[in-house]
Amino acid sequence: MSLPYPFKIGVQSLFREKWINLLSILTIAAGLLIIGISVFVLYNLDIATKKLPEKFSMMLYFNDGIQKEKIDHIIVSLKRNSAVNSVRYIPREEALRELKATLKNSNYIFEGLEENPLPDSLEIRLEKEAVGPEAVKKLADEALKLKGVSDVDYGEKFLSTIHYLKVGMKAVGIVLIAILSTGIIFVCYSTIKILFYRKTEEIETFKLLGATRWFIRAPFLIEGAIIGASGGFLSLIGIFTFYYIVVMRLSVAIPIFKTVLFPADLFLPLPVMGMFLGITGAFIALGRLRY
Amino acid sequence: MIEFANVTKEYDNQTALKDISFSVGKGEMVFITGPSGSGKTTLLKLIYVADKPDTGNISVAGWDTDQIKESSIPFLRRNIGIVFQDFRLLANKNAFENVAIALRIRGVGEKEVKTRVYESLKTVNLRHKSDSFPKSLSGGEQQRVVIARAIVSEPTVLLADEPSGNLDPDTAEGIMRTFKDINAKGTTVLIATHNRELYRNSGRRVIKLNSGILIGEEIG
Repeated sequence: MSLPYPFKIGVQSLFREKWINLLSILTIAAGLLIIGISVFVLYNLDIATKKLPEKFSMMLYFNDGIQKEKIDHIIVSLKRNSAVNSVRYIPREEALRELKATLKNSNYIFEGLEENPLPDSLEIRLEKEAVGPEAVKKLADEALKLKGVSDVDYGEKFLSTIHYLKVGMKAVGIVLIAILSTGIIFVCYSTIKILFYRKTEEIETFKLLGATRWFIRAPFLIEGAIIGASGGFLSLIGIFTFYYIVVMRLSVAIPIFKTVLFPADLFLPLPVMGMFLGITGAFIALGRLRY
Repeated sequence: MIEFANVTKEYDNQTALKDISFSVGKGEMVFITGPSGSGKTTLLKLIYVADKPDTGNISVAGWDTDQIKESSIPFLRRNIGIVFQDFRLLANKNAFENVAIALRIRGVGEKEVKTRVYESLKTVNLRHKSDSFPKSLSGGEQQRVVIARAIVSEPTVLLADEPSGNLDPDTAEGIMRTFKDINAKGTTVLIATHNRELYRNSGRRVIKLNSGILIGEEIG
């Protein structure tokens, strides 16, 4: 079975204008490679910050002399909150024991201490999705209003720094992807525009012979799609090479790189993305054909 | 089949055609004649909607060219085979491909394309040159490839703009025979020429133009 005619023309043109097309493919590949690496970095950053909630806890301190029934009541009401995963009651004696165990090499600190200075407290662990600056602050404010609660500690600055770092990196990533995608569309646009101008006479003849707009457009769109997809495929090779050569080698020398994840599934659509951008660029370049 | 009603066309305030009215019936073969610059090519261009008239109406194969939507123009043109004065052959395609394009545009299948293109090239005695590129063909041969391209789709109307321009008398006679054969099959043929030999003793209608004005009509 032979290829449909517009496809044949598109492929022929691809080889006839091989240098300009090759240059476009390499430019698109470079752009998509940067996009791929950005996604790779963002993905790993996201994974790293997602692990934080497992380690995050909020401490709630009680006033001296608070009754156990009152504490139990507060525990029950806290557990009812959907943002709360678990609540652990730490009596002041246990808190002192834990402190002493932690500072066992500096036990002189506790010499002469007649009274336990630590209050009864609760260690609250939150649901993963609730660990955001706003949600945590809301919960802390609510807890502070409870009778018998003297203080709430949750590492406010650390939490908001991580949060804004994550949001900031995501924003930078999205802007970068948007700029590079626009750049790729522009590369395809320019390439197809040049090829279109080179074939102006041929296209005029096609029109006079009765060719429809789609008959004229199709080979260019196919060419744009192949250029974009080829660029995407090259970038895919580039990103796998980047991972195996750069990251794998670095992990030998720097152990932290061993924790770096490579989401191969996330990169497989790169040729499809290239193809889509290629078609978009070609479509814009062709504009409205007039008869 | 073709009808001009009070058609006027100007380019940069220069009159190309002025108040032209005539009609060509289905299956007729008509000559348009006149000196260079008399408006013959403009008249043909208005028929295949490469241009539109400033005033007046033109009807071709049932289409009103004034009312036609841009998206419908290709479908009107598919009724028309055109022998361009400047050939309009694709330099990077051989004779076969140049003729085949007229059928591929119409979505004809490859098997049928092959049969019809060879048949068409045979009609103009160029079957043996099907692999040759325009550059390696003589002016007359190029002209015949253009004719083969115009007739391969079996159009209802055939327009020829100075078809004997690059031909020796013998070849010109052969081409005229081809046009007559096509016309005999029912195609309406309109030939723009300044060559009297083409229409002399043809027994066909000859429409005379001068400076864009229809100055008369006679039987050749």
